[in-house]
Amino acid sequence: MAARHLIIGGGTAGMNAIRTIREEESEKSSITLVSAERPYSRMVLPYYLDRSIAESHVFTATARVLADWGVTAHLGKRVTALDTAANTCTLDDGTAIPYDDCLIATGSSAVRAPVPGADLPGVHSFWTLDEARGVIAQIQPGSHVVMVGAGFIAFTILNSILSLGAKLTIVEIAPRILPRMIDDTGAALVQTWLKDHGVTVRTGAKVARIEDAKGKKRLKFASGDLTCDVVIMATGIKTNLEWLKGSAVKVNQGIVVDDYLRSSVPNVYAGGDVAEGRDLISQKPAVHAIEPTAQEHGRVVGANMAGKNVRYRGSLIINIVEVCHLDVASFGAWDDAGAEAASGVKADRPAYRKLLWRGDRLTGAIILGRSGDIWTVNDVGMLKGLVQSGVSLGRWKEYLKKNPFDVKPAFIASKTTSTLLPETVLGRPSKAPGETPVAV
Amino acid sequence: MSVLRLHPQKCTGCLRCELACSYMQTGEFQPAKSVIRVSPFEGHTSYAPYTCTQCAEGWCMTACPVGAITINAVGAKDVLDDKCVGCKLCTIACPYGTMFYDPGTRKAFKCNLCGGAPACAEACPTAAITYEDVATADWLGDFAVERTARVLAEAR
Repeated sequence: MAARHLIIGGGTAGMNAIRTIREEESEKSSITLVSAERPYSRMVLPYYLDRSIAESHVFTATARVLADWGVTAHLGKRVTALDTAANTCTLDDGTAIPYDDCLIATGSSAVRAPVPGADLPGVHSFWTLDEARGVIAQIQPGSHVVMVGAGFIAFTILNSILSLGAKLTIVEIAPRILPRMIDDTGAALVQTWLKDHGVTVRTGAKVARIEDAKGKKRLKFASGDLTCDVVIMATGIKTNLEWLKGSAVKVNQGIVVDDYLRSSVPNVYAGGDVAEGRDLISQKPAVHAIEPTAQEHGRVVGANMAGKNVRYRGSLIINIVEVCHLDVASFGAWDDAGAEAASGVKADRPAYRKLLWRGDRLTGAIILGRSGDIWTVNDVGMLKGLVQSGVSLGRWKEYLKKNPFDVKPAFIASKTTSTLLPETVLGRPSKAPGETPVAV
Repeated sequence: MSVLRLHPQKCTGCLRCELACSYMQTGEFQPAKSVIRVSPFEGHTSYAPYTCTQCAEGWCMTACPVGAITINAVGAKDVLDDKCVGCKLCTIACPYGTMFYDPGTRKAFKCNLCGGAPACAEACPTAAITYEDVATADWLGDFAVERTARVLAEAR
């Protein structure tokens, strides 16, 4: 009998797993997808919000494509229980699905700060497509939008809100913005840049309550209330794992997985936001709720489900946001207090680099610079390459510490390209997205 | 497949490749929009061109959340403008620093080997850039080691 693969979750990890199974398998298997939503890319929702793409652009696989790939899809359904002894999952409509192996890739959900009024109509999250639809319908040119939370998620939609002609105020309980993406110096530069671009940022501001105010919303603080048209709560995410409680699958911060992305139950894999797998830099288990990790996890799981034995080298934290044409990116262990650090700042441009070292290897980096600066864009990639490859920089370390804005000679002369060229995630050249074998 | 083979010892730093590339890629003679970049070494006494290796992993391609980077007819990773939303994930996924982003069009762009007739190679007057059916490689590493010895010594 053909192998029966079950994919739980139609996000980045799940869809990459499905494609990779079809690329790698030697004989056709049965693939079943259970997904609470139609498969789409959350990464591109900000571009749907600013209306630069149509809603149809966000979907990663239409019904037709899923049929071409030979996938039996249960969309709009959730898994309520996983019986790892019987190798069966149960859906919310009572359907039981038997499997030979399964991938848990149920992702994350937005959580709202526990503030009275946070659940009022007109108070939004921006995480799922449905939530995006809700926000789009509310923002008009001239609307005053208050975003509660100044983390990565908030910043991904900042440009979109501004480009719709709305006035934006960001409220953050912490003393600074972007706490999990850049350091204090970088955050201060971004905050100044935002002020110069007409965005009001209030840090150290705790929302006491949100209330209706004659068709608008009022946010109450210890002092200085805010009245606005739309409230977006970007106050964090949590992994969607409640449904797995009581199963034999071991969960720590996320589902604990080995280097083959197998959980404590060998025929149950986990990938993406719900997986706690190896971090490339620290070599310790970590939950990386970012798109690139989900993509790599999904492909490794797909290959292993198809009978390969692909060992995953670990995932690298990489993040970038563009803030009013200012690129802000960080890589690896950029917040490692035990690392040796060197930085350079050009406050007037602004431009900022921070490089973190363990021995003569770059283990983390922060880079900030104008989007139009070619050298910023190129150095973004090269810093990623230096962190990813872990090349020994030898005497270039001292050079980079003194010249953090001159990355290229160090990158080239350290033969980083030679180190990187043989590296592939699956041990073979990648296939183009349009080349997934049709399996009907 | 054929790739761009770089011969740094032949590069004079004339920047014709950058002009040709930008014109071919964007219709403008504007080196800032070139996806092959000439870098100076040893205080501008020698130069080398640097561009996409068309690596096997295709970090840009696998990272793209909407499948906007594909492999074109000559084997180059190529951005599909109508699919690219400008999220920049490819620019942080590429470990070589050879993905570009145009704030004007809000699209990523990169070397696509000009569909099989690379303008940079054609424009280079000294054959420092050739288009050859060879395995891609680190064409600049050894050259850079030699030509950075002095600057590195001074940095100590």
